[in-house]
Amino acid sequence: MKNVLYTLFAISISLLLGKLVNYLLSGLPASLYGMVIYAVFLQLNWFSPHKVSVTNQWLIRNMGVCFVPAGVGVINHFQLIQQHGIALITIIFSSTFLLLTVIGCLSERFLITPVPDDDSTSAGENNA
Amino acid sequence: MLDSVLINTPILASIAITLTTVATYQLSAKLQQKWQSIWLNPMLLTIILLVPLLLFLDITYQQYSQATYFLNLMLEPAIVALGFPLYQQLRQIKFHWREIMSILALGIIVVISVSFIMAMIFIKAPEIAIALALKSVTTPIGITLTEQLSGDSSITTFAILLAGLFGGLLGPAWLSFIGVNSAKAQGLAIGSASHAIGTAVLVRVSAEHGAYSSVALILSALLTALISPWLVPLLQQLFN
Repeated sequence: MKNVLYTLFAISISLLLGKLVNYLLSGLPASLYGMVIYAVFLQLNWFSPHKVSVTNQWLIRNMGVCFVPAGVGVINHFQLIQQHGIALITIIFSSTFLLLTVIGCLSERFLITPVPDDDSTSAGENNA
Repeated sequence: MLDSVLINTPILASIAITLTTVATYQLSAKLQQKWQSIWLNPMLLTIILLVPLLLFLDITYQQYSQATYFLNLMLEPAIVALGFPLYQQLRQIKFHWREIMSILALGIIVVISVSFIMAMIFIKAPEIAIALALKSVTTPIGITLTEQLSGDSSITTFAILLAGLFGGLLGPAWLSFIGVNSAKAQGLAIGSASHAIGTAVLVRVSAEHGAYSSVALILSALLTALISPWLVPLLQQLFN
């Protein structure tokens, strides 16, 4: 329970700072600044990655429910789907495969250098 | 009768509608756990179950979205929570983050332009074109960015779901077919095209696949947020 509150606190602080940065600089949405701030604070160990790990994983697994209201908005679009359903699916399908192809081919070509493996123990520490 | 409940006791109605949504989602998630099928995506299933229910009960979308305002409020903290996997993957990106960022940025510019232009040619509605252009990111960010650019976020949500299903189901086979076989390349491609759904599929292939897929998911969200505010208005000018 303590770790749940700790995680919610850490996320709220990051979001508030994100709102502040967004207010000062605009540019990215506040929540994305918050995400980067959260990652940086975890890296600096200002927030304990160990304490947030379980709650955070639970949040990510269940965050889909927050997108349901936006998705239900499709209720207003039956006419659009009737008229343009095939065009919609064609665009989504072809542009998704185009993106897969572009990123797949470029990565295969330019990311051949292996990550210098400083040693496997440090990986364990980073993930702990 | 239901109308009077919605109008006279909005808080009760709101709690009831939100709880129904959460319960349907939980049920769908249980179903997916049991059968492990990509098609039983809890979000997709919940939407498919709720839409007929709302039509049957004569609840308009406006009433529904007001009633579930609380869930909408959780969108921002949900995005912040993605900072944790970003932190976990920092080591993976450290050594070639420039290459990864350039490749992803190029891919994003191509996919936004192609989707936008195709949508303007075939459907001719800017708010739909914006929604389709922003479909290659993780859902909360797609919704946020679409609303910022005054596109239609319900179309984005659906397009993101479909992109996730297409890439998650057919992506690995397609990439092998065109000769893209390394874990890094497959992970980056599927993570950026099919975000969370694709990542869930790839995690089962290997840890490296999953790691690169979540790197791509998060970095392409950041890059799309940086690129779309200038690229989309530029594309809009083409059709004025």
